Amino acid sequence: MLKMTHLSKVYRTEVVETYALRDFNIDVKEGEFVAVTGPSGSGKTTFLTIAGLLETFTGGTYHLDNLDVSNLDDNARSKIRNEKIGFIFQAFNLIPDLNVFDNVEVPLRYRGMKALERKERIMGALDRVGLASRAKHYPAELSGGQQQRVAIARALAGSPRLLLADEPTGNLDTQMARGVMELLEEIHRDGATIVMVTHDPELAARAQRNVHIIDGQVVDLAEDPRFHSAYVAAAGQVRG
Amino acid sequence: MSLHPMIAALRKHKAGVVLIALQIALTLAIVCNAIFIIYARIQNVQRPTGMEESNLFLITQQWVGAPSGDDPADLQKLDAMMREDLNVLRSMPDVVSVTPINTLPLFPSSWNGSAALKPGTDLRAGNARTTFYFGDEQLLKTLGLHLVAGRNFTAADVTHRGFRDATESSIIIVTKPLADKLFPQGDALGKAIYLNGGNTPSTIVGEVERLQVPSVASWASGFVWNSAISPVRMNINFSRYAVRTKPGRLDAVMRAVPSKLYAVDAMRVLDDDSVKSFKDIRADAYRADIGMAVLMGVICLILLAVTAAGIVGLTSFWVGQRHRQIGVRRALGARKIDILRYFQMENLMIAGGGALVGVALAVGLNRLLMSKFEMQSMPTFYVLVGLAVVVVLGQIAVFVPARRASNVPPVVATRSV
Ligand SMILES: Nc1ncnc2c1ncn2[C@@H]1O[C@H](COP(=O)(O)OP(=O)(O)OP(=O)(O)O)[C@@H](O)[C@H]1O
Ligand SMILES: [Mg+2]
Repeated sequence: MLKMTHLSKVYRTEVVETYALRDFNIDVKEGEFVAVTGPSGSGKTTFLTIAGLLETFTGGTYHLDNLDVSNLDDNARSKIRNEKIGFIFQAFNLIPDLNVFDNVEVPLRYRGMKALERKERIMGALDRVGLASRAKHYPAELSGGQQQRVAIARALAGSPRLLLADEPTGNLDTQMARGVMELLEEIHRDGATIVMVTHDPELAARAQRNVHIIDGQVVDLAEDPRFHSAYVAAAGQVRG
Repeated sequence: MSLHPMIAALRKHKAGVVLIALQIALTLAIVCNAIFIIYARIQNVQRPTGMEESNLFLITQQWVGAPSGDDPADLQKLDAMMREDLNVLRSMPDVVSVTPINTLPLFPSSWNGSAALKPGTDLRAGNARTTFYFGDEQLLKTLGLHLVAGRNFTAADVTHRGFRDATESSIIIVTKPLADKLFPQGDALGKAIYLNGGNTPSTIVGEVERLQVPSVASWASGFVWNSAISPVRMNINFSRYAVRTKPGRLDAVMRAVPSKLYAVDAMRVLDDDSVKSFKDIRADAYRADIGMAVLMGVICLILLAVTAAGIVGLTSFWVGQRHRQIGVRRALGARKIDILRYFQMENLMIAGGGALVGVALAVGLNRLLMSKFEMQSMPTFYVLVGLAVVVVLGQIAVFVPARRASNVPPVVATRSV
């Protein structure tokens, strides 16, 4: 589903070059639920933005759904983002000017979907996250957990193959975080591939597979138990 | 693109939307009225007087110590002096023809009255208001008027009289518009009319196609083409002569005129302004109109620029404010063109709403100007032009910030705080 080989990402500013990712290799299979962990600044968000075609990379190759995406133009990338990928952000990123219904509708409109089908999908997605009754509310009228569930509904409405979540519970308390996590697990059970960045080892442990990133490189804990202690230490560091 | 969510989003920015829409409405109302006024002025300025305007100039001179013209002997003397001037001017090699004349179209001096079908008719009841020109048999040729019916004056027709003598001449040439006004059947030729409520008939012997009245002020706009020409040398202590020169010889003749006249009689006043080409007379007459038209044009441009700047400013502010949601939209699959279109469309709705209000304001402003000043009713065309101008202006103005918005990268969705 998502395969990166020898991928690198360099951020160039006037003074420095930062290797956010270097010789980065990962292979996420269709239907997997992968949790990505790692210390702050290690490159987790960078990985996710490249995976989600929000940004281009510097070197290496990236195949998404068996398609080499390195040379696609901006429009083609937009189309893939729209049709294949669902995003869930730490900061929810709902559009404050639009009510819940209109927010969930945004990606569907860019797909050029008919109004009736849009409505069906929106209400279906809102139903699924338990917020159908809040369709007319504005984001500011919802709790953080509810906002994140709207964001999940927005990501779900387009039935994406791949769900990318960057610390989806980072701004939520434990109670709400658990609710969101349960929702993600449910979505996973229905067949979606999920890649989730998290700082929470407890949540990470609930994923099928953990990928640890240190200094822009992948250390796959599941495949190499020697790193297990380092992983726990790193996670502990971040939490403390 | 359906408009519902866009309208919903705009409702959250009411103050800005209303302000910019109002600005657009006012701009539309002012600009289309101004364009209409400018156009009307330009039309005024451009209308031909009915004369051949090139190679024509006017001399105004005053005799020093000349007789008053009140008793008959003085009158003979004044007339002799005038004829002497005419002879000298007519003998100049590059001069085609010369006529004594009281004024010219567009010249700030006029003699106005009325023409009626019956003697002693009240000046205001059913008369045609008219301006009077006095000259001799060379007037038509000198001014280059087109005789469309009847005949020109002959030398024998020409009389002379004093300033205070109210006798009207027995024959007269009128403009076709005046003739048609007095005789709608078109049978004016040979008919008698009565000037200024008097009792002596003046028979119409000829009609000229067109001859504008001197005044360009709005009070004269009701009878711009109503002119009557009498075959009379008017004897006063000053005189005017209209002179037609050979093509290209205007300047030379104008320069030579003062010394020629001084040679006849040095006791007269001729200053720089006394010899004036018709081109300059026209320029002087319409200077205020042209100045006003230019000023209004400049004000319109400034107004449009300010409105455009307002749109650029407000949209830039909104783009900045929505920086993050633009990134989110891009992340969710919006193409650059979708973002660009969003802002263009948003502006179209605001400008469209403003323009609708503006159309009402424009018509209202026109009605107001009609009631307070001598304004005509503005044709719909101008409103449509104004509407197109503000809408196109809005689309152009919004393009710059809209393009900036379309270049917001999708990564903003994950990176910005
Ligand atoms: N636009 C940028 N320009 C320059 N450097 C950048 C840019 N974005 C990220 N970086 C750098 O790339 C590295 C990886 O950043 P990234 O955001 O991927 O880390 P992260 O693992 O998500 O951290 P956190 O857990 O704090 O979110 C960091 O050193 C960061 O400073
Ligand atoms: Mg991060």
